[in-house]
Order: sequence, then structure tokens, then C-alpha cells
Amino acid sequence: MSKGDRAKSAREKIKEQQAAERARAKRKRLVTYSTAGVVAVAAVGLGAWYAASSSKSEQAGAELAPVTVQSDGSVVMAKEGVTKPVVDIYEDFQCPACKEFERVSGQTLKNLAAEGKAKVVFHPITIFSMEPTKGNSVRAGNAARCVADGKQWIAFHDLLYKNQPSETAEGFKPDELVSWGKDAGVTAPDFEQCVKSEKHAQAQLSYSQKIGNEQKLEHTPTVKLNGKEIENNTIFLPQQLRDAVTKAAK
Amino acid sequence: MTASQPSPMARTAIPWVTTVARLVLGGTLIAAGALKIGNPSESVMAVSAYQLLPETLALMVGYALPIVEIVVGVLLVVGLMTRVAAVIAALLMFAFVFGIAWAWAHGLRIDCGCFGGGGELKAGQDPSYLLDILRDFGLVLLGAWAARFPPGRFALDSALGLTVSAHTDTPEEAA
Repeated sequence: MSKGDRAKSAREKIKEQQAAERARAKRKRLVTYSTAGVVAVAAVGLGAWYAASSSKSEQAGAELAPVTVQSDGSVVMAKEGVTKPVVDIYEDFQCPACKEFERVSGQTLKNLAAEGKAKVVFHPITIFSMEPTKGNSVRAGNAARCVADGKQWIAFHDLLYKNQPSETAEGFKPDELVSWGKDAGVTAPDFEQCVKSEKHAQAQLSYSQKIGNEQKLEHTPTVKLNGKEIENNTIFLPQQLRDAVTKAAK
Repeated sequence: MTASQPSPMARTAIPWVTTVARLVLGGTLIAAGALKIGNPSESVMAVSAYQLLPETLALMVGYALPIVEIVVGVLLVVGLMTRVAAVIAALLMFAFVFGIAWAWAHGLRIDCGCFGGGGELKAGQDPSYLLDILRDFGLVLLGAWAARFPPGRFALDSALGLTVSAHTDTPEEAA
């Protein structure tokens, strides 16, 4: 140690010590702060990832189960000989929640039917009572009724959801519906005429009324398993929906 | 901070006000997040119902929002990273105010989805935009207060010694 150091006043020494202390405290604060920050960000990331993965839709399986369009407009998707459990889907092509249901759980329904684990029945109804949603829904429902082939019907059904218009604007216009029909593989010559004349609009409305009363529907989508409504918490989580249906199959 | 010397009474009152602001804002956020987190699809729908964000962004926000609310809410309640959490919370609330005002201005008829639900109104229910906006704006103010006067009493920030600023001329606030 040099002479100069020893000569340092006590005052300066204390100052130095204080500075060192402050630096240490600052470092500690920084570490604590960053740790808390990293943990918080990680929690957010993990939570968001979990949410996304729990509502991730299933992979498309091989082949669709046979699909039959019935005379009342409902559509059955089931392997031959599979009669239960019955999964009834009451849906409206214009309803955003139905679109979301189709997005997350549509593939699960197709897979369950293809695996012979369920008989899936689609009931497209019109639940809206005000314009423009009512008109949109009726036009879409009518157009679906114009498709007689099951496979084409499912493809058309999926396209309708993919192209669902806003609830505040007129949509599902006749020309659009015709072209989506073609995209879905519809070749029947009277399809365009059927869509544009809204041939089945009345049938769509009366079926909606009838089924709504019979099934006491309050909202769409309503999903019933062997006649009993499955909760929203289940139907929007593909894995839980699958579990519920397979459990009912036993 | 450059505030002129506050009166002794204000000096005792301010941290308590911050604590109350933290608890109210944080508690609201936790409740809002918890009611949404079990049903990510509903959360996505509620975000989409505003027709404000493009589809993929609405998806991401729908998935992330509930957990963000919970994490920020917890940070506020325990008083950890108070200032950062308060700023985020205030911005969140401000975004909600904007979103609801947007929906209102565009004549949408939706439920704000603030505390769960898919954004659709129940049959016969009317939107409650004004109330939602007033509530959320009040929460913006609480967030601003907590960001201006952190961390308040009973805050982890103080317990962990995170509050001491470079110039330690504040009276020992750390309890």
C-alpha cells in the first residue's frame, strides 16, 4: 500500500464503501427484477401455448364416413351399421360460435364418424330473427338444402363456415353460394336455380321452428349426445369432446 | 421523481391509495382472466366479435389475453414490478376502452366479453357499452395512479428492496 492510500481520509473510505454497497444493491435489484420479469413472461407464454394446444383441432383422418342428406334437411354422417352414440349438431351457418366450433371440433366429428365411434347428425337451422343475419342464414341454409350428395354437402358445409360473413352485413349472396357449391364439387344442373330462387327457404324456416321447439334450443351451436346437451366447455375442446363421445359409446 | 415536497398527510395517504388501486385493478384482472381461461375458443370468439383484428391476430390475442390478465393481475396484487405491471394494465384497459368504443361506433351489437362469454348477447339483452367504458376507464386511472406512485404499502417490491432509487433521498419507504 502506498503512502497516499494510507493518507486517504476516513471520509473518502466511507464514501467508497457506500458506492460499492450501492452497486451491489443495484446488481441485486437488477437480478431480482429480471428474474421476476422472465418468470412472468414465461408464464404468459406457457399459458397461451396451453390454450392454443387445448383447442387445436384434430388431424384429418383418411376417408369420410358415408354422408346421407335426409329429406328433412338434416344430414347423417356415420359408418354403415353405426347407430349410436348419436351426436346431434344444431348449428346456424351465420353464427360465429358455430364457425368456431367447426374450426376447432369439426375434424373431431368427422374422425369419430369415420372411426365408427359415433353417428353424427347435422341440423342446419336458422336461429336469427333479425336482418341481416336472418336473411344470410336462410340463404345459406337453403343452398345447403340444394345439395343432395352427402360428400358434396360436407364440403359445402365447411366452405360456408370458412366464408361466413360479418353479422352486420348482408352476405351469403346467391352468386357466392353458387360458386362455393361448384368448389364443393356440386355438378347437379338445377343447383344454381335452386339457390337463386331460394327454393327451400320456407322448408329451412319451418324446420328451424319445429326443431327449435322440439329440442328447446336456446343457442347455437347446441351439441347433444344421445339427446343430452353437452356443455360448451366440452364441445370447444376437441380432446374432451372425443372423450365424452367415446365414453358414451361404451 | 420531482414532485414538490408533499404534505405529511399526503405522504402517508398516497401509498395506501396505491395499494387500494393495485388491489382493485389486479383483482379485476384476475377475475376477468380466470373466467375466460377455461374456454380458449370462447375467448377467441369474444375477440373476433369486435371485428377489429385480422383473424390470425384475433386468434393469438384470444389465446393469450386471459393468461396475460391473470399474470398482470397477480403482479399488481402482490406488488411486484408494480410500475411495469401498472403500465401494462393501464394500456390493456385503454385498449378495451378503445375496442368497446369501436364496437359501439360501428353499430355492433355484442357483449364486451370482459368477464368471459363468446361476445354474443343473450336473447333480449342490450349492449352495455357506456357502463363498460366507464368501468374500464376508471381502471385506466387506477393503473395510471399505481404507475405514478408505486409500489404502495404491502408490496413485494419494497420487501425485496426493489424500490430504492439511485438517489436515496426518499424516506425509508421500504417497510
